[in-house]
Amino acid sequence: MPNKAVKIGLTVVVLAGALAGLLRATLRDGTEYYKHVDEVLVNPVDWQGKNLQLHGYVVRDSILRKRDSLEYRFKVTGKVGDDARVVLAHYTGIVPDTFSDDAEVVLKGRLEPDGFHVSPNGVMAKCPSKYEAKKTAGAPDN
Amino acid sequence: MASLGTFTLLAAFVISAYAAAAAIAGARRASRSLVDSAVGAFYLVAALLTVGTAVIIHAFVTDEYSIKYVQHYSDSVQPFIYKLTSYWGGLDGSIMFWVFLLAVFGSTAVYVNRERHRELMPYVVAIISVVQMFFLFLMVIHKNPFETFLVTAPAEGRGLNPLLQNAYMAIHPPALYIGFVGMTIPYAFGLAALITGHLDDSWLRAVRRWTMVSWLFLSFGLTLGMIWAYEVLGWGGYWGWDPVENAGLLPWLTATAFLHSVMVQERRGMLRVWNVTLVIVTFFLTIFGTFMTRSGVVQSVHAFGEDRQLAWMFTGFMVVILTVSFGYVIYRLPLLRSRHELDSWVSREAAFLANNWILLFAAMFVLFATMFPTISEALTGERLTVGPPFFNKWMLPIGLALLFLTGVGPLLAWRKSTVINLREQFLWATIVGVVTPVALSFAGIPFWPAGLSFALCAFVCVTIIQEFVRGAAVRKQGTGTDYLTAMVGLVARSKRRYGGYTVHLGIVLMFFGFTGEAFKVDEQMLLQPGQQARVGRYAIRNDGVRVTDDGQKQMITGHLTVFHDGKELGKAYPGKWLYRRHEQEPVSRVAIRRSAAEDLYIVMPGFELQDQSVSLQVVINPLVDWIWVGFGIMALGTMIALLPEQVLGFAAAKLPAPSSIGMLLLMLVLMGAPARAQHVVDPAFTPVVPKSALEKDLYKSLICMCGTCGRQLVGECTCGYAADMRAEIGNLVKMGLTRDQVLQYYIKKYGSQEPLAMPVDKGFNRLAWLLPYVLGAGGLLLIGGAAIKWSRHSTATAATAAPAPAAPSTEAADKELEARLDDELRDLD
Repeated sequence: MPNKAVKIGLTVVVLAGALAGLLRATLRDGTEYYKHVDEVLVNPVDWQGKNLQLHGYVVRDSILRKRDSLEYRFKVTGKVGDDARVVLAHYTGIVPDTFSDDAEVVLKGRLEPDGFHVSPNGVMAKCPSKYEAKKTAGAPDN
Repeated sequence: MASLGTFTLLAAFVISAYAAAAAIAGARRASRSLVDSAVGAFYLVAALLTVGTAVIIHAFVTDEYSIKYVQHYSDSVQPFIYKLTSYWGGLDGSIMFWVFLLAVFGSTAVYVNRERHRELMPYVVAIISVVQMFFLFLMVIHKNPFETFLVTAPAEGRGLNPLLQNAYMAIHPPALYIGFVGMTIPYAFGLAALITGHLDDSWLRAVRRWTMVSWLFLSFGLTLGMIWAYEVLGWGGYWGWDPVENAGLLPWLTATAFLHSVMVQERRGMLRVWNVTLVIVTFFLTIFGTFMTRSGVVQSVHAFGEDRQLAWMFTGFMVVILTVSFGYVIYRLPLLRSRHELDSWVSREAAFLANNWILLFAAMFVLFATMFPTISEALTGERLTVGPPFFNKWMLPIGLALLFLTGVGPLLAWRKSTVINLREQFLWATIVGVVTPVALSFAGIPFWPAGLSFALCAFVCVTIIQEFVRGAAVRKQGTGTDYLTAMVGLVARSKRRYGGYTVHLGIVLMFFGFTGEAFKVDEQMLLQPGQQARVGRYAIRNDGVRVTDDGQKQMITGHLTVFHDGKELGKAYPGKWLYRRHEQEPVSRVAIRRSAAEDLYIVMPGFELQDQSVSLQVVINPLVDWIWVGFGIMALGTMIALLPEQVLGFAAAKLPAPSSIGMLLLMLVLMGAPARAQHVVDPAFTPVVPKSALEKDLYKSLICMCGTCGRQLVGECTCGYAADMRAEIGNLVKMGLTRDQVLQYYIKKYGSQEPLAMPVDKGFNRLAWLLPYVLGAGGLLLIGGAAIKWSRHSTATAATAAPAPAAPSTEAADKELEARLDDELRDLD
């Protein structure tokens, strides 16, 4: 039955093509680059205006909150303790409980000339595994 | 006790191996006794794993902290019930729980079918045994939950993560696991049918109910996960397209497809390759989901952490599954030919086919998108992520298309629907489906996507109600009873059909609830005491923050007053709890005001005790409770369909009827389980940041040498000693030492290769590294070899025995025996 085979083949090709095209189109604006602060700092201008997920650490004593508001300004760095190479971040909203000095964070948003603008609910304090109860480093293990 | 546990695992492994080999050998030699011994061994494995489970639970209950796993996931102050659930709180235990369930499920399936499907059963036993062996192997080699501390046992446990100390988290994993594990049974039957070539529909009848039960538990597990996320995690939603959630959804999608396409094969003998494929894919996805969440391939908020070795073991197993299964499908293609062709596209089988394609596509899409960061990193080196919006963009039309087919499919006739038939069936439904969005648009609800979704919900509802009403009317005429009796009689008469409609009704309600998401309001605010803020039609006033302490935890409670349209509704108390010894992990308490129309959902992420101000996240979630109601109705429908169906004679391979009623009761009880809202965010631990690739590599190559952490990697261990070691490694690297030099330094420092995470890959050490794998592979080969040899042996002995039946010695013995018999018989006379 070559006729039937051709029909099925054509249908599959057309459907697969259409879906692949759609997937490509939607992927283009649906994706975000997952980047470490250090990678972005190499050439910040390249990343301006792109959707980013910025991975880094909150610089100690850098978290500022405007009085009586939820407006935050803080710095993120690639390494804990490295206060020189940092990105300034702006955010308005509620931060997770774990958001604190030195916390490992992933920020969703866009890089602009005046700093990183975090989108609403875009602050994620990263946890390698919620299921594994981690202890504070330095505390006696076991 | 720990050694008893390890022993049961080892014994279970060996006996599973025997069961697999003996079953195959028995089948090939047609030896009933060999097969029986395999089945016996199979039951024995279930018994052994029950003992093992008893041991581990005993260890938890008696606080036996010499066992690492117990120490890691339990402590003495934990409530009793959570000591039990700690069993599956971690990776090692969850694998063991998995095998235990598989053994119990497998044994039940084999026992129920012991008098049926004789030709399939040996292979079913063998296949399930091999799957058990894989998981037992994982435990014995890599993740033994009975591992003990070698030097000194700590006096107190670390405690189960408070996040998991929650009623939903106690039942959610078992429900999901039962669903996952249950999918092994259909796979075993399907593959057995492929191997033996008994590809008539009998294997389908044997597995349909098992698939339904597993499907029900999977749905239950997924729903519980949603409720947990909603009530406990406190981010305002219930489904975040997290890899772990997706891992559960994938097999659910393909199992749903199978439950539909199986009907086409039963009725029309079509889609036979397709059904086998779906069964294989479903099973594969359960393993793949486990792989995804256990091996750290995909990053997720609640995956179990990275584990390369485990990843490779799983990869190997999955390759074997796919190769063997699809190898057999291709080999058996001639036997799997359809008995009929598709007559028309306007037929029920075509609708089912479309539904199957969409479901499978949905599964493939979710799989692709979940793996996308990993795929993109592997291909381009650039880690690209896709978020929930991307999933929603695709899954929304897919879901709506499925919803549409839910209404259309059951009303089409088999083979071909005529125009008259179509008009009769769809007239009212179409009218309602068109009027609804028009009416809604006057109410200001846009057509896409909410209006369309509501329209489809209405459309499907009408078709289902119409089916019930028409069926009852016919039956009322036939039996002369009243309407209600006729309706009950109707459902009782064809439970599968009307059970199915009830499931569809539940699905419609769930979609109704999902649609509420389109009208979600999510606002964040900071309120000073006495200050008031509006969210939608609500207003919230901050009355201050109180701190109380009940000895176990410190509780910070926000006191709020809620107004609706200016009228005072009542108080709301979102809170934050700080458990003793867990102060780093504050637990949020969500305040939810439920109603059929919408939930008002308040979380208090931040507070200031000095000025009594609170930061609030206020979410209005319309229609969300209909999702849970929908699941309840769906479960009820599945139960109806599962009741023994004497009329149609599908009673083969059934579960005892009381069990479904029991299950229904159980679920109803569980659904009403108290909503204990807790939220824990991970403790603030100082992250470990390697400064260079070499350091990162070394973190993974060396273990913490404090003597009490076991063999945890330096990079993963959280004790102070490891921190010192990391600092030391940093210094060594800074001094310019190479990798080998650093390793040598540690070998010299501790006088042995003990600090190395894996033996140096050289000479004798290479053997040590390979040994477990060689043993595992050797074991498998041996079993296979033995099975083949035994089965050959029978033909060989038969062949040698046949030509020489009259060996002189035996003949002489026979004569003697005959003479003696004669004598004795004479004496009797």
